[in-house]
Amino acid sequence: MIDNLFTWFDNRLAISRSGRHLLNKIFPDHWSFMIGEIALYSFIVLLATGVFLTLYFVPSGQDVVYHGIYAPFDGQTMSAAFKSTLDLSFSVRGGLLMRQMHHWSANIFVGSIVVHMLRVFFTGGFRRPRELNWFIGTTLMILAIVNGFLGYSIPDDLVSGTGIRIAYSILESIPFVGSYLATLLFGGAFPGNGLIIPRFYILHVLIVPLVILGLLGAHLGLLFKQKHTQFKGNGAREDNVVGAPMWPNFMIKTTGFLFLTTAVSVLLGAFVQINPIWLYGPYIPFHVSYAVQPDWYMGWLDGALRVMPSWELHLPGHMIPNAFFPSVLLPGITFNIMMAWPWIEAAFTHDNVEHHILDRPSERPVRTAIGASVLAFYFVLFGASATDVLANYLSVSLNVVLLSFRVLCVVVPLVVYPVTYKICTEMSHTKGAGKRKQYNIIVRGEDGGYSAVPAEEYVGYQREVLEPIDVDSVDLAGVMSAPEPTSVDGVYQIPRDYR
Amino acid sequence: MLNQHSHDKTSGVAVSTDAQQFQVSAKNPKRVEKVAALTFFVSLVAFAGFGAAFWQNANNEMLGGTLGVGFLGFGAAMVIWGKYLTPRGPFEEERALMETTREQHDELVADFVVRGRVAFGRRGFLGAMLAASGAVFGIVALFPLVRSLGPLPKKSFYHTKWKRGSYVSTVDGRRLKAADLLPGSLATVFPENDLGGALSQTVLIRVQDGGDIVTMPGRESWGPEGYVAYSKVCTHAGCPVGLYEQLTKQLLCPCHQSLFEVTKGAIPIFGPAPRPLPQLPLYVDSAGYLRAQAGYDEPIGPGFWERGGTT
Amino acid sequence: MMRRSSPPISLAAAVLVVGIIGIGALGAGATTHSVVGKSHSPSARKTAAKTSQPVPPIPSIGQTLYDENCSSCHGLGAGQTSLAPSLLGRGAATVDLWVSSGWMPLAVPTAQPSRGPDQFTRAQTIAIANYVASLKPGGFSIPSGDMTGASVSAGQNLFSENCAGCHTITGSGDALSGQLNAPSLHGLNPTMITEAIITAPGNMPRFYPGALTAAQVRDVVAYVSKDIGHPDNVGGIGLGGNGPVAEGFIGLFIGVGACLLFALWVGDRSEDEESAEDALKEAHA
Repeated sequence: MIDNLFTWFDNRLAISRSGRHLLNKIFPDHWSFMIGEIALYSFIVLLATGVFLTLYFVPSGQDVVYHGIYAPFDGQTMSAAFKSTLDLSFSVRGGLLMRQMHHWSANIFVGSIVVHMLRVFFTGGFRRPRELNWFIGTTLMILAIVNGFLGYSIPDDLVSGTGIRIAYSILESIPFVGSYLATLLFGGAFPGNGLIIPRFYILHVLIVPLVILGLLGAHLGLLFKQKHTQFKGNGAREDNVVGAPMWPNFMIKTTGFLFLTTAVSVLLGAFVQINPIWLYGPYIPFHVSYAVQPDWYMGWLDGALRVMPSWELHLPGHMIPNAFFPSVLLPGITFNIMMAWPWIEAAFTHDNVEHHILDRPSERPVRTAIGASVLAFYFVLFGASATDVLANYLSVSLNVVLLSFRVLCVVVPLVVYPVTYKICTEMSHTKGAGKRKQYNIIVRGEDGGYSAVPAEEYVGYQREVLEPIDVDSVDLAGVMSAPEPTSVDGVYQIPRDYR
Repeated sequence: MLNQHSHDKTSGVAVSTDAQQFQVSAKNPKRVEKVAALTFFVSLVAFAGFGAAFWQNANNEMLGGTLGVGFLGFGAAMVIWGKYLTPRGPFEEERALMETTREQHDELVADFVVRGRVAFGRRGFLGAMLAASGAVFGIVALFPLVRSLGPLPKKSFYHTKWKRGSYVSTVDGRRLKAADLLPGSLATVFPENDLGGALSQTVLIRVQDGGDIVTMPGRESWGPEGYVAYSKVCTHAGCPVGLYEQLTKQLLCPCHQSLFEVTKGAIPIFGPAPRPLPQLPLYVDSAGYLRAQAGYDEPIGPGFWERGGTT
Repeated sequence: MMRRSSPPISLAAAVLVVGIIGIGALGAGATTHSVVGKSHSPSARKTAAKTSQPVPPIPSIGQTLYDENCSSCHGLGAGQTSLAPSLLGRGAATVDLWVSSGWMPLAVPTAQPSRGPDQFTRAQTIAIANYVASLKPGGFSIPSGDMTGASVSAGQNLFSENCAGCHTITGSGDALSGQLNAPSLHGLNPTMITEAIITAPGNMPRFYPGALTAAQVRDVVAYVSKDIGHPDNVGGIGLGGNGPVAEGFIGLFIGVGACLLFALWVGDRSEDEESAEDALKEAHA
């Protein structure tokens, strides 16, 4: 029956040849190549849980009076968006689980994108011919961060609403066009005409996901065409790909991995509370909470806003406000350098040939040290977003904590660079550094001396690595013993009985 | 076609399916099968448990726990299958380098140019007309999107609803008298015609029991009977400055920890805020009510390009 | 608990040494905390809906305890000393709050008051508070903590407007400028919450009378003791109510971390160096 079905398609789409090409496609197997899959599969979880949420969420800023089951809000006026989120959390069966899964997988989505980007950066996977894919990837990262911000803002609670207020001020701070951008997006001076929640909503569920899907398609398509990079070892060369075939190995393993990454989101959503908006209450423009930080992937922006000294640029009749520098200029510079990195590195290394073999980070100490110190800089900024929480828990003066972070912003990257550089050079001069450990048995010889003999590790599968064989070159003579294929009007029939 | 030997492109030799690379990687496939089957069974039970939990309207942990164990088991079993019960490999395939020959490149360019010349050769004027029309379309296409979204800012950033004689009121409309608050008190207040207004929100602080609070030269009458009032919208990024430290007489903004000196015109002494909070001039009328002498004398809140060089 | 009456001064002199040793056994903090507050004018005393606790039959219990534990810094007359501010006219509610919250007594006068269990029994604390209040009229008497008729919903709204800016919307507390902080609001009883709102301790602004009516104070107290004290963490582990910072750490280290561990299982590791060198030779050949 399956071969009838396949024949039906084959006779209309002629898929046998390209289908064989697809089935035989080779995927390099290294575990770090699966980080992008973590992002892809958490995106699928986001889509699935997101669809559920859209069936219940009301994206409206209109005021309604709450008379639901959560007593502390009984009789209070709130936006319909906040009320529908409360209903999802308390009254819709499975609604809270879906909300929490959605938010946890959003955190995992952005987190795995960042880790994936770091993997590509530190192994040089952005070099020719993959500069375009790197550019698409960084765009995807920015869109993921933006969509995360939009998503946690639409419930219109006190914590995220404060973030929206800050976003208004950031837009406003842009020279020349700032006040126009802010009033256009929000519909007037803050809080605007009340349409910001529906606008954020449609951006979050339709416009940005469509762009993400399109770019994701391009990202995977380029990967498909150019084939994945690989590490040295086990017969890998610039002109081949060594690994596991699409069928059956990769298909089965990746399906399993999809379920495993989904399981992580489900279990977090089951047992760890996230974004408990009923504890925060609705957003009211003259209310505010202390200890308010954005979600972690925007934390570096919040930290930058805090550590920035109180400078403003005054020009005749105009000004560039303080908030512009840490929240517009800094991310602008960050993302531009990030996107341009393949060309920046090529300008210094004068390396314009095709690369399909990846570097080990310790082999490229300058690039690795630059990456580590820049990452450390943003990590310090992320830490700076929690100045008040840290001052409280460590019982240190708030002023001292902030001043410390201002110093750390500069000092930590300057320290990380030479330390990382040194580690890399030491590693590349040490035989076997960073490689799999070999198990040895100490044996004593007849003369009384000791020597180490490699031991056979016990693992549940055959550990010994074999020579790679060409996937297209299999001898099918012993496999297929079908009669001569018959052809009816040029359409080939696949024989029924085969071994 | 199917009976032909395929040729190994790298070595020219067909590889038999008896080769070691085709065997499963598990040393004991039967045992691995049993483990995978058991794991599938666990996930089956867990999924069924999810169904039961949902039917019973169980709590979040039960719903998510069963579903999560189900996914975990299913995924683990699939991975066991795909890792240990598949051909161990490794396999390789040819990788085409992302380069074309000079000849192929020239053929493409030639086709493009030859036929293109027929359509586009020496038709510059036509091309310019196309570009001009396209440019105009590109500009006006933005109009419905940009212009209709919201109003122009005009002067909306420059004024709040506070004006001369506005009664200082709490959000539920209660007009405040000078005698109402004790020293050390903090209240969020609004003009009567804009209760709860996002831009007119103001902090009213009774610093001391009586006497005038002069925060700056020129503001001698702004702080009657120990009261001062400042805009609650932080001049840094717009958060409500809701944290008043009674003993040190400072306002702390909770968002980015800017610190403002209440007795000195709310000038920022710490943190990123660049400008003082605008002060609302108060007076006490004959009936004892607190009222505003006028609106704010500068735009409240964070800065913007057109705001000008106010320090 | 019965004690013989004896002249306060001689008894105080006799137990002063014992009291100092006892206080020295308590923990010490780090820096100076100013506890100077203003005494309230008598005109501000409003009874509202609060009633006093019955005064213990023998007033000297309070005096005895005060002399033993408080007078070393506050002086026998509870006036301004070089070590501590005046307690005269502050009212019983103020003293009750500071003692029952564990802020007082301080081991050393310069220590930072920190929350802890009450060093005395409830009856003893009330006795001390009423004794101090009896020295000079002013302030509030100890409130009953009665919350009948209070609305948690109104309280939530008022809490969000007035309290969340310092104590955070979940009541977990946070740092103020310098080394001070707005403390956590978990584990408080209605009496203490009421006392804090009406006596404005430390850097806390004065919300009553004026900014809040008496009914509104009751609403806030009801919300804080019920929903802040026992938050509805229906979604699972509450992570301390600290918001996105804790969630981010969990999401990154546990969420992405678990996925990376799975990837380590599903994928392969790198091969050894000998093969790598061979591959390099082949590539250059």
